[in-house]
Amino acid sequence: MMASRGRGRRSFNVDSVGLSRESLPSALLQPSPVFPVMEMKPLPLTGGEEVEYLLALKQDLRGTMRNLPYYIQSAVTHSDVERYSDKYHISETCDLLDWNTDWRRFPRELRRSFRKPVRIGVSDGATLQHKKDRDKEEVLLKLENLEKNEKEQSSEEEEGGGAQEEQEEEPEEELEEETDYIMSYFDNGEDFEGESDDNMDEAVY
Amino acid sequence: MTSHEARLCGLLLREHFGEVVEKVGTHLLRSGAQHLRAIVHESGIPLDLVKKSLCVLVQHGLCSFSSGRKGPGSPMEYQTSPDRILRILRYPRYIYTTKTLYGDTGELIVEELLQRGHMTMSNTVKTVADRLTQNMEENHSMEYSEVSSSFSKLVETHFLQRCPPSALTAKKENPSPADSGAPAAAASIVPLKPESFSDCYTVPRVTLVGRGKRPLPAEDEGEQRSAKRAKLDSEVHGDEGIYWQVNVERFHLYFRDQAIISAVANKLDQTCSEIVRTMLRMSELTTSPSATCTKPLSANEIFRSLPTGYNIGRPILDQYLTLLVDDPMEFVGKAGESGGGMFVVNLHKSLANLARATIESSVQERFGSRSARIFRLLLRKRHLEQKQVEDFAMIPAKEAKDMLYTLLSQNLVQLQEIPKTADYAPSRTFYLYTVNQLPTARMLLQNCYKTVANLIDRRMFETKESKRLLEKSQRIEAILASLQASGAEPEQLTEVEEMITPSEKQQLESLKIHINKLDLAENQVDETIFLLESYISSTAVSS
Repeated sequence: MMASRGRGRRSFNVDSVGLSRESLPSALLQPSPVFPVMEMKPLPLTGGEEVEYLLALKQDLRGTMRNLPYYIQSAVTHSDVERYSDKYHISETCDLLDWNTDWRRFPRELRRSFRKPVRIGVSDGATLQHKKDRDKEEVLLKLENLEKNEKEQSSEEEEGGGAQEEQEEEPEEELEEETDYIMSYFDNGEDFEGESDDNMDEAVY
Repeated sequence: MTSHEARLCGLLLREHFGEVVEKVGTHLLRSGAQHLRAIVHESGIPLDLVKKSLCVLVQHGLCSFSSGRKGPGSPMEYQTSPDRILRILRYPRYIYTTKTLYGDTGELIVEELLQRGHMTMSNTVKTVADRLTQNMEENHSMEYSEVSSSFSKLVETHFLQRCPPSALTAKKENPSPADSGAPAAAASIVPLKPESFSDCYTVPRVTLVGRGKRPLPAEDEGEQRSAKRAKLDSEVHGDEGIYWQVNVERFHLYFRDQAIISAVANKLDQTCSEIVRTMLRMSELTTSPSATCTKPLSANEIFRSLPTGYNIGRPILDQYLTLLVDDPMEFVGKAGESGGGMFVVNLHKSLANLARATIESSVQERFGSRSARIFRLLLRKRHLEQKQVEDFAMIPAKEAKDMLYTLLSQNLVQLQEIPKTADYAPSRTFYLYTVNQLPTARMLLQNCYKTVANLIDRRMFETKESKRLLEKSQRIEAILASLQASGAEPEQLTEVEEMITPSEKQQLESLKIHINKLDLAENQVDETIFLLESYISSTAVSS
């Protein structure tokens, strides 16, 4: 009972137990160190052929599973600088369509997500376009009042064009703003290292 | 499920399936069975990503679905369990074991099945034949029939098993007669265990004739032709809808047997271990996975089944068997006198002894051999007073006190109070030190999970730190490879190689050494995890 009354009290009486005040360990004033010094060093890892082979298997497995369609990338956001080519990046996350598994083994609600992948691309393109138009408008309004009407007219035209495209559901290449360039023009080389899969001997970290 | 287990599962999912699957998986682990809308709402992940992650988890057998708690009409509930996810750590060991037993073909079959969750036999055979053909010399290719026979062998020895028929398809096959207007979800969907399916281990008749194909050299043609080939390959092989998965429990039984055999070899003798190996081999298919000991085998049978290299005489075999029975580790027990003596392998006792040796060795490495002596003493003698500990262990009182208190603070030793009087006056109670093997094993197992999680964390940290450097080196390798393939001069190659400075090369080397060390450590800790888990699950079954 007396043991838990408030902080800093001991649960026993120092004299009656028979100890001296110095023999008790000093009070802790800070948390114990994160990496305390170890008196006993651990044994070295076991070596040998089998162990090395297991290591290679493990690293290979990690590497190959990265490239299977089961590895789902979260949406990559280019937060540093907004690049022109961002608009034209084709999202790669719809690889699950390549699965030729038996969809009957999966519950019905999970199957529905793979019927209409183009829908996602459509709405993104349209909203991006609208947003960019709005920004463009504000900037130009601030800069030059004289050309305000002209810009409004041209942005209206583009919005009209965008709405049309939304309804038509064209393939993605022509969906997001009509350009004269094919989509590989906007490839900024960030996916280059993804093609170096030929070197299967090299362990992937 | 503990926090260490959850953290380790999350890291394993992240490494193999990406961060999105990790988030969904850890959410499911923490919250139990949930239906789709609840997962989306609580985890804040967009619906389509959640659906994809659930598909990936179900494909790999990490998540099961069943109809909801409120009855057959309620939405489907999904749940995961940490055990199956933790097995991912052991995948390299499964693959290596298959390699030692069934060669490269078996190794690739198991590797493909582990990577893809479940596949049909025909798909597996084709993929493996193609992979094997790639590594063979020119104008040689792998026959489908060879791969099929390896597959069948794996199924016969139960290393592969059929996925249980999805409850959804089973329901469709047995429509209830009286419901034309009733809603479709009349029966509740319950996940089936593989063993409950009677054809679990029967290989279907598959018409697969052909050889493995090499990848085509020219890329443009290859794409066109592979598009055509994909259409041709969708021919029916007679085993549609029959999916196979790796039977991890069978691998665990095999590992357990190997552990017992090597323990016998270390403690006694090579010949003794051969005898135990023979006994285990004979009772492979007759022993159930949760049996305490194998079926009794007579000495005559053992004598007949010994491998032909070991021509020891019959009386020598009897002596060896007596030696095994008398050994304090109790690997082998005597169950009767008929047939020259009936002998069993004590599986659960052996596992308990192996776990005990593991715990003792970990105490020894952390606290020193004298503390280990005290620990072993307490394990054998159950309850001891402090004075008795000092006497039996032959350690001076002051040091013994110190060591006991260190062990106590680390929770490896517990204190049991036995009062002489009704009030627990300290001068009038016995304080006994004791060690309980099972709780200590559980605690060590949690430590192991924490260790592996820390190792993976550190490895990811190291990789992230040097990400730029790794990317640069990968790009340069790719350039080198393409230059070599197109036949460039040595000067160009050296020029490209020099793009990496020597200090960067050194950094890369040391990074590689660190990552290899961390990976090796993970594999080693996983062996300990296996032993402790087997021990704990064996006690759960028998109690």
